[in-house]
Amino acid sequence: MIRVSEMDFTYEKSKKKAIKGINFNIEKGEIFGFLGPSGAGKTTTQRILIGLLRGYQGSVEIMGKERRMLSKDFFENIGVAFDFPNLYQKLTAIENLKLIGSYYKNNCLNIDELLERVGLLGDKDKKVEGFSKGMKMRLNFIRSIMHDPEILFFDEPTSGLDPINAKIVKDMIVELKERGKTVFLTTHNMTVAEQLCDRVAFIVDGGIPVIDRPDNLKLKYGKHTVKVKYVENNVLKKEEFPMDSISHNSNFFQILKSKNIKTIHSQEATLEDIFIKLTGRELL
Amino acid sequence: MRTIKALKADVLFQLKQGFYIVYIVLILIYMLIISQLPSDASKIAIPLIIFGDPSIVGFFFIGGIVMLEKIQGVLQYIVVTPLRIREYLLSKIISLSILGEIAGIIIGATTYRESINWLLLMVGILISSVFFTLLGFLTVTRSDSVNEYFIDMIPYMFIGILPCFSLIDFPYNWLFNIFPSVLGLRLIFGAFYGISAANVSFFIISGIITNILLFNYTENVFENRIVYGGESK
Ligand SMILES: Nc1ncnc2c1ncn2[C@@H]1O[C@H](COP(=O)(O)OP(=O)(O)OP(=O)(O)O)[C@@H](O)[C@H]1O
Ligand SMILES: [Mg+2]
Repeated sequence: MIRVSEMDFTYEKSKKKAIKGINFNIEKGEIFGFLGPSGAGKTTTQRILIGLLRGYQGSVEIMGKERRMLSKDFFENIGVAFDFPNLYQKLTAIENLKLIGSYYKNNCLNIDELLERVGLLGDKDKKVEGFSKGMKMRLNFIRSIMHDPEILFFDEPTSGLDPINAKIVKDMIVELKERGKTVFLTTHNMTVAEQLCDRVAFIVDGGIPVIDRPDNLKLKYGKHTVKVKYVENNVLKKEEFPMDSISHNSNFFQILKSKNIKTIHSQEATLEDIFIKLTGRELL
Repeated sequence: MRTIKALKADVLFQLKQGFYIVYIVLILIYMLIISQLPSDASKIAIPLIIFGDPSIVGFFFIGGIVMLEKIQGVLQYIVVTPLRIREYLLSKIISLSILGEIAGIIIGATTYRESINWLLLMVGILISSVFFTLLGFLTVTRSDSVNEYFIDMIPYMFIGILPCFSLIDFPYNWLFNIFPSVLGLRLIFGAFYGISAANVSFFIISGIITNILLFNYTENVFENRIVYGGESK
């Protein structure tokens, strides 16, 4: 669906490259996550793919055509949710959706159903200026999917949302994927990435050192251990054992048999740990 | 058609943002001023006000509208929809020209006692209204805040208004007949006092050509500054 090769980009008024020869492919029906600290180049890459930045080097192919050759009709099949909810403040939720929706050839999905889904149906006739940040973000989100586009770009889709609404939006993104849509999302949030993405790219300083499935990354780079906590002479002690040799670790069995065990947990590295390990950078 | 859809959006936006209330107040003020003038003076003042109104609307309203769209971020979203920039510009021009026409007709009909060539009046308003709205667009693409707008406006204001003094006779003043503001003003005066058919056709053609050229230029500037604005910031 999207093929990017050797893409370079330098902002007009800046001397250094914002993007340095990156390569990645995104298949149809895939959720692809771009993860990286602030200033890494996530928004820049997304804006190039969407077509809001010209003058990139290398090749960016979307649905089989070079990006710079695509006409405005391209946007019929694209949905974008920026990280900032950009809505008509004095118009109601439903007016916001209907006015923008009228610019597309596709008939829009059932708007009331979408509003219901993100808990805004009761507020549909209220002006957006009275909405909370989270309500605006939810409206912003459904506006990007209402014309049923093939490719979706989400910039920090869950930022500003409480856990319940974040869950709703994440579920909806997974449903989009199940309906064969292609999703490109950027985030700082490793949990979001882990829960949603089929593959993630770590981006740092305009380069992509790693692209892989989150579970693969954990397998390859995560330490996998068992942590046992037990009480001995009224003192809480803990010990950690590597998972792969656990079946013939006599020390481990000795503790299990003879000590007063409090907890046993298997330990997995988080994506965040792996990011730090591979890039030497903290997220955020 | 997308332009019609955009026009619908613009009218709703202008209504909800309170532009029409401001406009009604403005028309009432014009009518009040005219009613206070002695009838000789009002014969000159009426065409001048009918000319001046769409220019002010074109200039200040378009500035306010686009600035609000920028601040609310809507403009940033519109550029990722299938709506073309030319459709976006066109629908705004149409919406403001309709306002200018309505105001011109109301002011003319309620204050002027003798006959008016209405068709000519409407054509004159249209030509100057389109011109001033385009100048307003050129200004607002530059500015990021209302304060900046008032400064950036000055050169465009001169381009719009100064050539109008060519209506006073002086050598080679016909050279200014490429400015749609001058042409609009001449046509509007013509609607009140009469004008030769040759002049009407020349003024209309000249006005249309300049406006089309300026429209294409504005579309380019708008695309570079607003759609691809991130490149050079
Ligand atoms: N308009 C611009 N002009 C010049 N340089 C820019 C511009 N926008 C971004 N940059 C630079 O390009 C680099 C990448 O920025 P980008 O906005 O893509 O980062 P990001 O990963 O989206 O960060 P964040 O997580 O903060 O959104 C940064 O070094 C930034 O300073
Ligand atoms: Mg960003």
